[in-house]
Amino acid sequence: MRLDSSRSLLVRLFILAVLVLVPPTAIVSYRALGAFEQGMAPEMDKKAAIVGQDLRTQLERAVGYGVPLERMVGMTEFFAPVLAANPELRYLAVSDPDGRLLYLHGAETAELQADFRTAGFGTGRDGHKISVGPYFDVALPVQAKGGAVIGHLHVGFDRAYVTDRLANIFLDVAVVLSVSLIVAFEVLLFVVFFNITGPLKVAGWVVDRVRRGDFEHVPSVWSGDEVGHFVRAMSNSVRRTDEAYRGLMAYIEEVRTAHFDAGVVARVAEVADRVRFLFRFSPDGRPAPLGQRMATDIRLPLFLFVFAEEMSRSFMPLYAGGLATPLPGLSVEMMTALPIAFFMAAIALASPWAARVTERVGSSRAFVMGMVPAALGYVMTGFVFGLFDLLLWRVVSGVGYALVTVAAQTYISQAAREEQRAQGLGVYVGAVLTASICGTGIGGLLAERIGFGATFFVSGALVVLSGVLLARIMAESEPPAVVAVAARPKFRRLLANWRFTVLMLFAAVPAKMALTGFLFFLVPMILWQSSLTLSEIARMVVLYPLVMAVTSAIASRLSDRFQWRAGLVALGGLIGGIGLLAPVVLDGTLPIAIAIIALGLSHGLSASPQLALIPDVCWTECRAFGRVSIMALVRTIERAGSVAGPLIAAAFIPMWGLNGAVIGLGVLVLALAAFFAIASGAYGSGPHIETEEETA
Amino acid sequence: MIARRLLLALCAAAPLLLPALAGAAENGASAEKGTPARPYRIYMVLYRGWEECAKGFKDYFTNQNIPVELIIRDAAQDKSRIPGFVAEAKELGVDLVFTWGTTVTQEMLGTYDKVDPEKHITDIPAVFAIVSQPVGAKVVPDFKSSGRNITGTSYLVPMETQVNLMRSYLPARRLGMVYNPLEANSRVAIDELTQLGRRLGYDLVAKAVDLVDGKPSVASIPGKVAELKDAGVEFLYIPPDTFLNVNRDVLTGAALEFQLPSFAAAENPVLNSRAMIGGVYRYYTVGQLTAYKAEQILVHKVAPKDIPIDAPKRLSIIINMPVVRALGVYPPMNLLGLAEVHDPEAGP
Repeated sequence: MRLDSSRSLLVRLFILAVLVLVPPTAIVSYRALGAFEQGMAPEMDKKAAIVGQDLRTQLERAVGYGVPLERMVGMTEFFAPVLAANPELRYLAVSDPDGRLLYLHGAETAELQADFRTAGFGTGRDGHKISVGPYFDVALPVQAKGGAVIGHLHVGFDRAYVTDRLANIFLDVAVVLSVSLIVAFEVLLFVVFFNITGPLKVAGWVVDRVRRGDFEHVPSVWSGDEVGHFVRAMSNSVRRTDEAYRGLMAYIEEVRTAHFDAGVVARVAEVADRVRFLFRFSPDGRPAPLGQRMATDIRLPLFLFVFAEEMSRSFMPLYAGGLATPLPGLSVEMMTALPIAFFMAAIALASPWAARVTERVGSSRAFVMGMVPAALGYVMTGFVFGLFDLLLWRVVSGVGYALVTVAAQTYISQAAREEQRAQGLGVYVGAVLTASICGTGIGGLLAERIGFGATFFVSGALVVLSGVLLARIMAESEPPAVVAVAARPKFRRLLANWRFTVLMLFAAVPAKMALTGFLFFLVPMILWQSSLTLSEIARMVVLYPLVMAVTSAIASRLSDRFQWRAGLVALGGLIGGIGLLAPVVLDGTLPIAIAIIALGLSHGLSASPQLALIPDVCWTECRAFGRVSIMALVRTIERAGSVAGPLIAAAFIPMWGLNGAVIGLGVLVLALAAFFAIASGAYGSGPHIETEEETA
Repeated sequence: MIARRLLLALCAAAPLLLPALAGAAENGASAEKGTPARPYRIYMVLYRGWEECAKGFKDYFTNQNIPVELIIRDAAQDKSRIPGFVAEAKELGVDLVFTWGTTVTQEMLGTYDKVDPEKHITDIPAVFAIVSQPVGAKVVPDFKSSGRNITGTSYLVPMETQVNLMRSYLPARRLGMVYNPLEANSRVAIDELTQLGRRLGYDLVAKAVDLVDGKPSVASIPGKVAELKDAGVEFLYIPPDTFLNVNRDVLTGAALEFQLPSFAAAENPVLNSRAMIGGVYRYYTVGQLTAYKAEQILVHKVAPKDIPIDAPKRLSIIINMPVVRALGVYPPMNLLGLAEVHDPEAGP
């Protein structure tokens, strides 16, 4: 995100936003957490009472039938389902009147025995509560028929449970807070750029031209605020000058045609020529409005749009898995992978068409057109009954996504002609990355609270909002679509360039395979199986764009400074592949977190050097077909990797299980990356022109 | 002319119409209950007197407000009385026949390959109950349909369910069984248990009681139980066998004496003797289910051959607590939670 000359203003605004938003939210959240913590303790006691009394009744019934307390049978099977149904309970136990443990399930005898012997639960009331090591223990007396206490039933809570719950809520609050900050900042950026810096920049251009004697343009701003007044006043000055010029010229013409003194006529003509030489005015007497088409204009709509798509990132396989019903010849895993693969395939296949539509109707209109299928797709995704309608609506959304992203890229590259290209690209990548962070984090949190369906409705609403915003911007300025119809690159000629082919097949494709196969598909399923909540899963998945955002900023600087591109791409690929092998040595969710971070690191390192490498390795092709169409082709090839990723992962699951599929994918990605690392050694550096010589 | 003709037509139709009209009027009167005033006449033939199944059958009609007139006959374990009941039922022209037990059912209704309209009930619909092997005894060709004018219920719990229940109480590796070699049911049970054992991982030791003068000897039972105990049997299986049912006290008493837990396939050895546990469909419930089938035939006019033969859905696990205490082999807590506990010593 390049903020150029407005940087200091924006930094100050951001600080202001933080100051205004964070303290009150933090205070309110802190208070709420306090209240929650206080409410937890009696809630736990109540739970212990309900669970404990039911178990005790059954124990007392058995005792009443003459089963001695120390000779109960099947106590593990008796306790196990109760513990399974109540995750906050850690153990259940029965002790004799001396505090000796008779039965215990869920904890180690050694942890409790010593404390139990000294606790002296007595004969008295229910709910005698003690702290034992990491547990709270609530004891309920068990009575024989005569009323004599013959032992105690113990319900054990994890003391960390409360802290865990609080930490979870705290993290959720933190996610909401960060996301609202980012959204607030995006809105601020939009407001500032669209209403203040944008018009002022246009005004600046006009003033600059005027300084050089160019009165052909007026700034085109219609807003009614102070900026609008100022710019309008300036336009009026330009127009007045234009009128004065025309008055002068008319007068000069009059003098030239009517004056008797040839000397005067010559002098006047000379003056006119001088004026014409020094100043330029609109030939038709109407200074043309100078558009303020800037890449930053569509940042907010694009942000909202990508936000909407990313909301389902952390739970799409879970949603699909719930709908999948076994079909002959198609495993449930494969059916779960299909929605992701279909979505990616829809984007890949629709992109060339989207480019043609954008050429025909202009990028802004194409952007809005893309919103319609996207919004429809999301809303209907929330309504689906089975896997097949889910696939249909994912494809519809994918088509919309393709149209919007192609249109946004075209818009930015057009707008960037007037500015710097790099800045334009930065706007696109920045919007997509921040939206990815925000959308993923909020999506999981929302789905946990309002359900999958409702979350898709929110996605749909966001797309509509984005469309409304964009329609407003369009009303302001829509320059004619001037997309140069690019020559269709010849596949064969490109692929004959081995550097390009190697870069695609051994770096770009495996990167996307790891992204969709692992992060989009396997991660939600693995974490869900490890019984993480939806918001916890989302917080894990969000690590990827976070790490990537930080890394890519550093990597692009490194790559620019040292011209170190192929090396970074190779390094990135290896890191990603190795990260996926983490489940080989570690158990649980930690290796998954490591793999996600490694993947973020990997793509952060390699994404921008990889883009920068393309003009290097196919310099002649870029010249022949245009960079834009080469890039479009690159994206299409990458998308093939995106489609393959979940399908390959799904094919691995029945053979090796979920973690095995991660490792399998890791081996594949690592092998490809290793090949690239070796091959890239032969790249040399700098542009390659031998291909040109060959074809010449 | 026309009027006269119409009158004639009405007179001709009158015999047909009148009962229908009368019925309609009566139905109108008792419309709330939706039942005809004339009770259905059911001819019940029992084999061992009035018991739980017959009681469940009768109570069902009472609870459903279906008026029935029960004509009750007891063969009192004497096969020779049955032909007389066939004749009486035909003579009375009853609406339905109820038969209790394999013998009564076979004698009254015939087997599906040997039905004689002279000797058996054929025109009157019939329901049977407490037939342990409806197919094996050739009462019906299969459980889906009798193919004739009868239907009924089965009352035996599937063998696998029984074995699983037994082994959830005590994971025994060796089951034992004392049986009457003259009873076909027992052989069927041995075959089933042996086959299941191969799959579930246990073996079966079966001992036939001695035959004295071609009759099974009661006195030999305790010895057979002792032999089982010596063979390392951990659980005694008591099949639904009439001879063993009659001599249940001897059998279960011996089991208790030799500290052998016993499982009964019928409720009598548990409720009225000293078997430790039973997994059964209660006779009362079976009676009710049989009455439900009778209702389908009488009230809803469903053809008996369209009503499948099945057993109640709910299994009753009965634990005989005095025996449990005497043996000191206590039931797992979860099983105890599901079971009906029979504990006459504890009082209500």
